[in-house]
Amino acid sequence: MPRFALAIPAWAWLVVFFVAPVAMVVWFSFGYKPGIFGTHANDVLSFDRYVEALSPTFFTTFMNTLWIGLAGTALCLVIGLPVAYWMAVKAPPSRRGLLIALVMVPFWTNFLVRTIGWQVILAPEGWLSTLLQGVGVIDGPLDLLYTRTAVLIGVVYNYLPLMILPLYVAFDRVGTPLREASKDLGAGKWRTFARVTLPLSRPGVIAGVLLVFIPLMGDYITATVLGGAKGNMVGQLVASQFQTAQNWALGSAMAVLLILVIMVTVALGGLVVWLVTLPFRTRNRLVLGEPPSSEAADTPSASSVSGSGLADDGAASADRVPEEVAS
Amino acid sequence: MKRSWSDVALSVWGVLVFLFLFAPIIVIIVSAFNTGRLLVAWDGFGFDGFIALLEKPAIRDAVWVSVQTGAIAALVATVLGTLAGIAMARHPGKWVFWFIGLLLLVSVTPEIVDAVALLPWLVFLGQDAGLALFNDGVVRLVVGHSLFATAVVSYIVRARLVGLDAQLEEASSDLYAKPLTTFRRVTLPLAMPAVLAGFLLSFTLSLDNTVIAAFVQVSGTTPWPVYVLSALRSGLRPEIASVSTIMLVLTLVALGLVAFVLRRAGDSATQIARTMTGN
Repeated sequence: MPRFALAIPAWAWLVVFFVAPVAMVVWFSFGYKPGIFGTHANDVLSFDRYVEALSPTFFTTFMNTLWIGLAGTALCLVIGLPVAYWMAVKAPPSRRGLLIALVMVPFWTNFLVRTIGWQVILAPEGWLSTLLQGVGVIDGPLDLLYTRTAVLIGVVYNYLPLMILPLYVAFDRVGTPLREASKDLGAGKWRTFARVTLPLSRPGVIAGVLLVFIPLMGDYITATVLGGAKGNMVGQLVASQFQTAQNWALGSAMAVLLILVIMVTVALGGLVVWLVTLPFRTRNRLVLGEPPSSEAADTPSASSVSGSGLADDGAASADRVPEEVAS
Repeated sequence: MKRSWSDVALSVWGVLVFLFLFAPIIVIIVSAFNTGRLLVAWDGFGFDGFIALLEKPAIRDAVWVSVQTGAIAALVATVLGTLAGIAMARHPGKWVFWFIGLLLLVSVTPEIVDAVALLPWLVFLGQDAGLALFNDGVVRLVVGHSLFATAVVSYIVRARLVGLDAQLEEASSDLYAKPLTTFRRVTLPLAMPAVLAGFLLSFTLSLDNTVIAAFVQVSGTTPWPVYVLSALRSGLRPEIASVSTIMLVLTLVALGLVAFVLRRAGDSATQIARTMTGN
């Protein structure tokens, strides 16, 4: 019996219902739409659908999606980092379980329903609008729903727990002794945070950014509920090509482009961060007897073959490492 | 000890963000008791929305379809994921690298791409390939919901077993237990907390799934989130909030069970958090 025998059912299931359909979409993307009633044809292959998908009308939506993706991820990081730090370091240990549970509740509330909650809050006739008018902050009804700002609020809200949780895990793992050592060696609290806590939490930051950015870019629901015509995202374009326009070839090309944009952005982002932090990392390098999490994250132990393959991805490897280190 | 201003600022920020996280949920729960015609406009307090669940067959059916497909999809994902997770943890090799690559691909592909890919594929299987099974609404939903869930269960089960020594299984086979007996009496019980957690997580993931469901569903078997999505176009009534509140309670009970199972198995709060986010 081969070593992977037990994994064959899952493998087969995913090949038949994930790899095959996605491969078919890639194949469709090289075809065209034949006439009004056809959805796709592949007798002539070309890159024309990709050119079409990047024509000015659709290109605006791609740029819009990228803007929301980057701004949303940055906001999640800025908002989530202090919260995660507070939960892991400042809050009393006895209350941490409760705080984590509280972050999980919105995360596990139906995505569509909590987005509808924001639609109710942001509606021009909603209570926020009434409140702000009553206080005198704005003159007319709140004009936020169905704009790009509304989509941004929605995605920051929807993906924030995915940023807080890995950051919390990372801060929690740094532990008190290293912070106290830093303090004993004369560093202030800001210096300790910048030179000890944050560098050691790097895997958590990487995981959080990826966990937020990747699904955010493919988001369909938030933009549908809060975006209207002004806050369009690529997910809606793809959906409309399949559902209303019945142009599967173009929709497929857009789907493939969406994945490519996500991959290229992650790669570029990783490169930029790597280059920018290079001088800091060489200067800040400190070698303890057994390097803790930060270094271990890049080179998982040899016993776990799987980990090494994930090192360049971060999202999964960063979060899986502790088990391997612990074992 | 006097608290520094930065500590105070952190606490204030933490509380504000928690308020932000709960704002729309509170709004939905409050709206559940709205007796008006529209969700947005508050009319009066009452239980009309909850009664709709009993009175409107469309809503009742949608909820039932969701619960049914959720349970079946969770079962499929748990069986597939548990076997795969055990294989990865106990029979490592070069193949694990490729397999995890596949699981990662499944988890990072945008849902909308899965959705538009599955629709023509299921139509192809059901009509062109003549497998009538795939014209069934429940089967389609189960397939769509099980993909990501299978990856999640695989991760969780693998993570748990990697953290446990294989010596128990070795001892079992040294004592002349057949491989199947060892699997049933030693490996599976060791993995059980992760298996249960994986099942419940898959169930809630499935209850939540909107995008794939909206594409692969056939009329007659509309799950609850897709019903809400279509109500979005025709006007949201308070009953949407009422039923969503019930579903939220159901989800929280399932997650409470996950936390309970994991805690019984000796996990810390941090480990529970990691497991429950699918890592």
